[in-house]
Amino acid sequence: MPQMTLIQAINDAMRVEMRRDSTVIVMGEDVGLNGGVFRATEGLQKEFGENRSIDTPLAESGIVGAAIGMAVYGMRPIAEIQFDGFMPPAFDHIVSHAARLRWRSRGRFSLPLVVRAPLGGGIRALEHHSESPEAWYIHTPGLKVVIPSNPYDAKGLLISAIRDPDPVIFFEPKRIYRAFRQDVPEGDYAIPLGKASTVREGSDVTLISWGAMVRVCMTAIEEAEKKGLSVELIDLRTLSPLDIETILNSVSKTGRAVIAQEAPRTCSLGSELVALINERLLLQLQAPVGRVTGYDVPIPYFTMENYYLPDVGRVLKGIEKTVSF
Amino acid sequence: MAQMTLVQAINDALRVEMRRDSTVIVMGEDVGLNGGVFRATEGLQKEFGENRSIDTPLAECGIVGTAIGMALTGLKPVAEIQFDGFMPPAFDHIVSHAARVRWRTRGRYHLPMVVRAPYSGGIRSPEHHAESPEAYYAHTTGLKVVIPSNPYDAKGLLIAAIRDPDPVIFLEPKRIYRAFREEVPEGDYTVPLSQAKITRAGKDVTVVAWGTMHYLAQKAVEKAAEQKIDCELIDLRTILPFDAETIVNSVRKTGRMVVIQEAPRQCGFASEIIALINDKAMDVLQAPPLRVAAPDVVVPLARLEDYYLPDVGRIVKGIQKVFNA
Repeated sequence: MPQMTLIQAINDAMRVEMRRDSTVIVMGEDVGLNGGVFRATEGLQKEFGENRSIDTPLAESGIVGAAIGMAVYGMRPIAEIQFDGFMPPAFDHIVSHAARLRWRSRGRFSLPLVVRAPLGGGIRALEHHSESPEAWYIHTPGLKVVIPSNPYDAKGLLISAIRDPDPVIFFEPKRIYRAFRQDVPEGDYAIPLGKASTVREGSDVTLISWGAMVRVCMTAIEEAEKKGLSVELIDLRTLSPLDIETILNSVSKTGRAVIAQEAPRTCSLGSELVALINERLLLQLQAPVGRVTGYDVPIPYFTMENYYLPDVGRVLKGIEKTVSF
Repeated sequence: MAQMTLVQAINDALRVEMRRDSTVIVMGEDVGLNGGVFRATEGLQKEFGENRSIDTPLAECGIVGTAIGMALTGLKPVAEIQFDGFMPPAFDHIVSHAARVRWRTRGRYHLPMVVRAPYSGGIRSPEHHAESPEAYYAHTTGLKVVIPSNPYDAKGLLIAAIRDPDPVIFLEPKRIYRAFREEVPEGDYTVPLSQAKITRAGKDVTVVAWGTMHYLAQKAVEKAAEQKIDCELIDLRTILPFDAETIVNSVRKTGRMVVIQEAPRQCGFASEIIALINDKAMDVLQAPPLRVAAPDVVVPLARLEDYYLPDVGRIVKGIQKVFNA
């Protein structure tokens, strides 16, 4: 089985789907001739031509708007937005139109559209290149939101997202694009949307995370184990719709939960998970649900990035605080 | 003292500030000659002229972008977006620029601007005219978010927002623009931002609401009182940065909490209020906290609106559930 990085797995997923289904196309800034700013679409224009691997103008609103039209007319466009921080220009098209087509047409139209974007910090980038804006899209009814944490999941989830009849916002944690390799099957396989993965079983506390933070959590768990703590780790994978059952089953077993995310704290997915667990499981909780998050400021430039992003030490502290409550 | 509706109080606040400070201007679609779609800016162009009450093209992105430039160069623009659902075209300017100027310049510049918009449902309107998007802005660091629930607060909060050195998103519950009148002092007064108000003292259940939902919650807590449930009602008034102390103190007294929001549930602002209590006062909770919220679908059109919006009956049910748990 080939060993792939996360970015290679993304590339492979698109190639597999473009070979299987001639209505699948990729489009975005530099995705064609250049192969994408992170090489996610490398080789696709050569194999599938300029009509299925489309270099667009530098205009995010136009990219998503055009993709919506294509999807309504029977194509399955995968629109790439070059960085998380360039998504707001396309926000209107995403939340006011893409998210609503099924509802607006009373189910007569669906919108098989994927918007891919690299997500999060950790690559020493400039402003608008390190954001974690998932909460905006999770709060928008009609969208699905997916964030993989490893190459195997990335390929299987992206294939599912492309086949999904509704719009999917697919965020790729850019700092682990090339951080490690993993066995990734060749050809076609899908990982269902809406299903979290229990990465590690444990009994003392449930740690919930997604994207690049999952790797940070894995290291933190190893440290916690040296101190005799047994941590269950849930990788959400799909952030909307949430796999509520997996979360609640785990927390009702451990009685404690910590959420680790890169995004700023206020009104984030972390807040939603705390609220959900409090509403459904308060009487089984042995400690307040912990949140280990970015701070409520814009993510800083590279010299201060390490102070902003939750690291192994902060996740470990969060675990210890919750367990010793 | 004059009796005013909420929209008259808004108009009065704008007039008071425009008289006091020649750098305050209003701008937006139809705000000048026409006086605004809801008459919020009526008479301002007549009194202050076309240079201070500016009719703009139908282009929300341009309205907010221009206002940012004005605020940077010494004016205090109050930009009107005609409806909540028309704010996404301006989203990029709001979150990627307005919210970040102070941070981006390391405090050398700040941005004294207000973006006003009629907010939330209940007026039997078409699509994009009934949204409750406060969570998008509550998750954006660098913004302040204000939602008044009555004429007195509306005037005092808007004056405070105009005088604030940073960008304020000021959302006006359009359903109660003319629902009732209240005594509103003439001339100049402010209601400080970031201070919630206890609008009914009680000992059994803390009810937190804002905007139209506070208006309905006032009726709901009276109904609950008839059933011997003594609620403490908090009008949040400022969503960001919010008054955590008032909420925590109240829940420490009552041990129970219901949060009401008109927005869809998932990742809405109510989740942050529950997370706050989880963090600061879980030890006193006698029942799981509860959100009464809209379902996670797009706001429906007129005929189904009443099934979607939380009403007095649903709020009372929520209070009963938490009281009896």
